[in-house]
Amino acid sequence: MLAELTSAARRLALAGLAKNTGKTVALTALLGELHAAGERVGVTSIGRDGEEHDVIDARIDKPRVELAAGDLVATTDALLEASGAEHEVLEHTGARTPLGRVVVARVTAPAAIEVAGPSAAVQVREAADAMIAHGAARVLVDGAIDRRAASSPSVADGLVLATGAVLGADVEEVVLATRRAVELVRLPTVPAALADSLAPLCALPGSGALVGAGVATELAPRFALTADQGALEALLDENPDAERLVLPGAVPEALLAQLAAALRQRRRELTVVAGDPTHIFLTEREPGWYRRQGLSLETVRAISLLALTVNPVAPMSHSLDSAALCAALREAIPDVAVLDVLSAA
Amino acid sequence: MREVDLTAVRPYGDQLGDGLVQLSFTLPVPYSLAARRAALELMTRVGFEEPEVVHYEELTPGYTYFVMYARCVESVDFEAIQGAGFDVEYMSEDEIERFAGERIGRPIVVVGASTGSDTHSVGIDAMLNLKGYHGHHGLEGYRSFRSYNLGSQVANSTLLAKAIEVDADAILVSQTVTQQNLHIQNLTELVEMVEAEGLRGRMVLACGGPRVTNELAKELGFDAGFSKGTYPYHLASFLVRELAARAAAA
Repeated sequence: MLAELTSAARRLALAGLAKNTGKTVALTALLGELHAAGERVGVTSIGRDGEEHDVIDARIDKPRVELAAGDLVATTDALLEASGAEHEVLEHTGARTPLGRVVVARVTAPAAIEVAGPSAAVQVREAADAMIAHGAARVLVDGAIDRRAASSPSVADGLVLATGAVLGADVEEVVLATRRAVELVRLPTVPAALADSLAPLCALPGSGALVGAGVATELAPRFALTADQGALEALLDENPDAERLVLPGAVPEALLAQLAAALRQRRRELTVVAGDPTHIFLTEREPGWYRRQGLSLETVRAISLLALTVNPVAPMSHSLDSAALCAALREAIPDVAVLDVLSAA
Repeated sequence: MREVDLTAVRPYGDQLGDGLVQLSFTLPVPYSLAARRAALELMTRVGFEEPEVVHYEELTPGYTYFVMYARCVESVDFEAIQGAGFDVEYMSEDEIERFAGERIGRPIVVVGASTGSDTHSVGIDAMLNLKGYHGHHGLEGYRSFRSYNLGSQVANSTLLAKAIEVDADAILVSQTVTQQNLHIQNLTELVEMVEAEGLRGRMVLACGGPRVTNELAKELGFDAGFSKGTYPYHLASFLVRELAARAAAA
């Protein structure tokens, strides 16, 4: 089921909305399907996978990552040795992590392996491409905790998002948190007519620009990270015809919140353009709330969301009804497959 | 002198391999013989052998504090653990200065803070400030480092903006990680912001706190994690070696 849903993505990222949303369970389910179909798979993790116990709460047992003979893996030399797996090292990636140096290897017999690949997005992409070059038909990149960097379209061709009961006490809370996260992942891209002119402004290194009919104001260095209410108000007042604020780097919520307030006072509208959804950091409000304040969000590059997996259990806490949770998610979030890989609901 | 079997090490009290440990803890029960009995029973359940209460006292009405001895029968394979991960070879302050001079040849810029709602700045102060900790002064006291300590309750965007402004080689964050996700999200957000700024390959990211391990650091996306018992020269050894390795690879 997951294998079919995600077949368009040669490099597939799996990301969780929080810890213990069942990201690695989804990974192992997908691995099982791909193995059954005889596909050669490459696996890596931006964090760490296949460990026996949770890193924060050791009472929580974690799923193992089982590889088949011929599969490729990007993990650290030390973990590969510790696993006892039969393997041949194909490449040293140059990526160093707190758990050792990352190598690309082929396992030559079935094995359970702890996977800890490169931590940096650029290096994850390089490791994924190396595994493809060595014959992997599909590469699975597992995320870590709530990290989103590996879901960037600059790393992966598609995304499976894991959600679950840890996000809320009841079905409504989980659905709300999931809907917000999906809304961010599926932000609209800039209109096609503007894409060519905006993309260069949204490339690093650069500080971004304010653009509109006859407007093109370059921003001060680190503007998005440091601008206060006064600076934002001045910028808006000096550029009454500005339509888009193009920001190449991180877009923190503090900036959006202050900008929304300034726009509301002026009864104006503005669109903030980011490189891709992983550059936008929202913890307080969702994109829809900002839109209602007159502040729309767009991205230059889109993430292709292929499926939502659901873990109805919050470890050491509570469980929700899987069927009810899946049904509620399907109703609230259209146009994406929703599934509980364990109950296949 | 008996040789230590590194594949099965256990605590050491009087004789090698005797497994003796000392524990201290508090039970929420009134100071009494029954409390003493409960502590012994608890230790047995955990798997300790020959538990012994060497001291117990009332902490406050309804709470009893214990100091116990017990024998630990489990052992760990130290050789397997040594193999997993990358152990930094620690250098003395003089060695660090010399290494940095030879291999890096310019001041190493480090920006540090306790981020988010965390009000504890003890950890970051110990690492960065001249005064340091237990007689080991912080990075401020090294010729080869230029450090900026932004203090506590610093927003990730403020920390990152400063790091970009001073062209930092490394960002150091201190956080008290708990089972609650809050502090964790704060740590991952910093890593993702550095990614969004396209600086992840250039800046070394290290985090520290009482519960931070290398395993947690890896999941959070940091290059290293430092816990209790870390001295500034541990951190400095890691930073100079990591920066030298990156310079060699570039």
